[in-house]
Amino acid sequence: MEVLEEQHMLGLAEKAVDLALRTGADEAEAFLNQNLTRSVTIEIGQISKTARIIDRGMGVRAIVKKAIGFSYTNVLEDAAIEETVKSAVSFAKASKPDKDWNGLPAKKTPASIRGTYDSRIVDLHSEDLVKAASLMLDAAKNADKRAFPVEGGAGTGCMSAVIANSNGVAATDKGTVVECSLATIGREGGEVTPECVEFNFEREYSVDPEWVGREAARLAASALKAKRIEAGTMTVIFTQFALQQLLRYTLMMAVNADYVQRNQSALKNRIGEKIGSECVTVIDSGLLEGGIRTGKFDGEGVPQQNTMLIEKGVLRGFVYDNYTAGKEGKESTGNGSRAGYLSTPTVDATNFRFVNGRKSAEELVASLNRGLLVYSVQGAHTSNPVTCDFSVVAAPAWLVKDGEVAHAAKAAMLVGNIFEVLKNASDLADNTRKVGQLVAPWVAVENVKVIGK
Amino acid sequence: MLEGTLLRDVLDKIVDVASQRFGAEYAEVRAQKLRRTSVTLKEGHVEAAKQGIEKGAALRVLVEGAWGFASVGSFDTEVLTEAVSDACKMARGAMSKLKKPIKLTPTKTVEDTVVLKPQKDPSKIAVEEKISLALNVNNAAFASDRRVKSCTVNYLDLTGETHFVNTDGTFITQDKLYVWLGVGVTAKEQGAFAYSREAVGSTLGYEVFDLETPQKIGETVATRAVRQLEAKPPKGGTFPVILAPNVVGTLVHEAFGHLAEADLTLSGSIISDKLGKKVASTTVTFYDDGTVEGAFGSFRYDDEGVPAQKTLLVKDGVIVGLMHSRETAHQFDAEPTGNARAEDFRVEPIIRMRNTYIQPGDYSFDELVEDIRFGYYLKSFKGGQANLDGTFQVGVQEAYEIIEGEVREPVRDVSISGNTLETLLKVDAVGKEFELWPGICGKGQSAFVSDGGAHTRVKEVLVGGGA
Repeated sequence: MEVLEEQHMLGLAEKAVDLALRTGADEAEAFLNQNLTRSVTIEIGQISKTARIIDRGMGVRAIVKKAIGFSYTNVLEDAAIEETVKSAVSFAKASKPDKDWNGLPAKKTPASIRGTYDSRIVDLHSEDLVKAASLMLDAAKNADKRAFPVEGGAGTGCMSAVIANSNGVAATDKGTVVECSLATIGREGGEVTPECVEFNFEREYSVDPEWVGREAARLAASALKAKRIEAGTMTVIFTQFALQQLLRYTLMMAVNADYVQRNQSALKNRIGEKIGSECVTVIDSGLLEGGIRTGKFDGEGVPQQNTMLIEKGVLRGFVYDNYTAGKEGKESTGNGSRAGYLSTPTVDATNFRFVNGRKSAEELVASLNRGLLVYSVQGAHTSNPVTCDFSVVAAPAWLVKDGEVAHAAKAAMLVGNIFEVLKNASDLADNTRKVGQLVAPWVAVENVKVIGK
Repeated sequence: MLEGTLLRDVLDKIVDVASQRFGAEYAEVRAQKLRRTSVTLKEGHVEAAKQGIEKGAALRVLVEGAWGFASVGSFDTEVLTEAVSDACKMARGAMSKLKKPIKLTPTKTVEDTVVLKPQKDPSKIAVEEKISLALNVNNAAFASDRRVKSCTVNYLDLTGETHFVNTDGTFITQDKLYVWLGVGVTAKEQGAFAYSREAVGSTLGYEVFDLETPQKIGETVATRAVRQLEAKPPKGGTFPVILAPNVVGTLVHEAFGHLAEADLTLSGSIISDKLGKKVASTTVTFYDDGTVEGAFGSFRYDDEGVPAQKTLLVKDGVIVGLMHSRETAHQFDAEPTGNARAEDFRVEPIIRMRNTYIQPGDYSFDELVEDIRFGYYLKSFKGGQANLDGTFQVGVQEAYEIIEGEVREPVRDVSISGNTLETLLKVDAVGKEFELWPGICGKGQSAFVSDGGAHTRVKEVLVGGGA
């Protein structure tokens, strides 16, 4: 299957927009993307699978009298595209008008971004990935005999996206990702640890599979000999994994304009209020160099940007797509996110970045008399999205005593509210890394309620 | 779509290329055409009415014990030939690092065509009707209580067909049909917020909404949200609990089911050395059953061409079975159970649950509650998650205190956690009434499943929540 060039894809998009207008749409938009992914999979300690996936398609939004229809196809041939366009228009006609519809975005110059495309990734073959995965596995095995690789792998992705709309938007972008990851468990004398995951996920070709393997094994081994801890209130250091899991279903939704406008956010009407401690500054960084969600434009063709959300604890703003911005007479912040050609845009954060502090991670741990170092939490997706209350299991986690990591802590529950977490955040380290959408260092939070036995 | 016989010729040719030109010991092609319609409604306005058509093929080969996989959005012979060749070459490239070659348990070859006959075929129902269904759910939720402030309704139907061919000579053509409606509402009163959600899912047809009427769905979800406004936080600590079918289903699925997916068992899950051993009280019997008529996790053949079946996992407290693919069945010297499922042609089949439940016992609800002096009745789940070490967490969206044998005041944002094996040993009674609830399970890919069983009493479990 031949790979389509961006300019060719843009031609298809513009043709679809024209056809939609001729078929009776007042406005129209076509979004195309193409993902070429290669992967090798590790299962039960060995490389067992290699895969190559080509996925591409087109999604068309048609608007008729303020009613929106959408249709998609993964067959980019003339007849299928025509059918898709017609179906989008007829669905718009069947749908109901939305009085708040304020039109598709206007044409703007796409943003300038850096570090999101690397031709060296495009040139990687399955054999290179097999080699990387194998290095990673060997490194894990040599690091600690008690650590067992469970799953993982290595992969690359080459993505391109184009968008055209009836306001003259016509833009193309392309990017790459490369990743390797390993999940391990520690086993010794009948004890099994929770899964311990380490990974590299980058836009440019800079991964260190041996480091990933070693770290995953080291984590699993150190999660052994876990002891129950006493219930109580203590300082918790959240690593990026745990923080990402907690914020995904709470704060990232609370700053989403769609949730705010629809009474689903506890932050409604609170711009300018202090909602966190001085050390908390959060910026939605759509332009972050090498960011996982960095792009020239969002899913509606609006240039991505950096948006201040929380400045020294004070709530400054929300993230908007074109529709939610229009409802408030504002400009979109470039947060019309798109999962691909199969979906319509929805509001979402890009790179959700916490400005880091000055201490090293070691110094942050050393500053605790007693506390918990939490790597990962279970059940964050059951948080209350409106109140942002959470009740999760911390696993793996380690007890910190007198400034040092003492031992692994057995399945303690953390109970709290994300806004309390922001208020009680006392310090941030300087070890910023990207985990999913989150870009953050370790964060120390005082007075977290821990339920144990 | 290509006609059955014509397509079969193409697919046969492709598996031949794999075995004859590249020496693959096994090859399969899964060609799918899928059609999706969805509607999202927010406070009664239609966000977008959506429809899409996808077609593509998944090619999987086993070459000298290593898997190769390719997916393309095409049925073109040339494209498929190139893809299957690539898959074979990739597998050969990975083989050098393989210590233990992968082998498959032989299965009976099947030639079958599965045609579904829904009373109401969702693909033949106008989108206007689906919009008005969603609108009726929305209206029922808002009409139910003035404190309801927002309502999101998502309707989805997925129909299509899958053609499966492998080098063993199996050829299956199978219809696919899923209907799903999910609704979430928020309620607000004097600064207090509450959220609740509910879902309906079926593999029978659009007729599911004749039983699960929009009125009923809307009222249920609204009432639950509003009740949460008045709810108080629970006490943290260890208490006896009664788990409703909806909650025990989540526990069985998350805390036990995943560990009994043979790939995860092999990965060292806590039950890996417990086969044939007692891990739960004798009141506990678990099934994963792909044959429940109309249930959201039911189908005739899995994506390796193995018939779905009713698989006994735990019998009277003893682990007696696991969920298998042909690959894991070989490793365990067991029979494949029809649990290999792929979300679509973009991905390969992996071991997934179907309809997972605890077998009902003989207690009435009153009998379950009467002995509890203080505890909780956990009625409706929010979600759950478990780890290979058996640590689980289940979040609950509707819960009540039990005091002196009676269900009393509502409590909010409860969750329970613990270790699976310790908790299953503490199950001391199971009720009579059987229910299954639809869900969408994530394990890298999404799978439509259901889970449930009957009301289940646990002597003690760690209850958290109430920040």
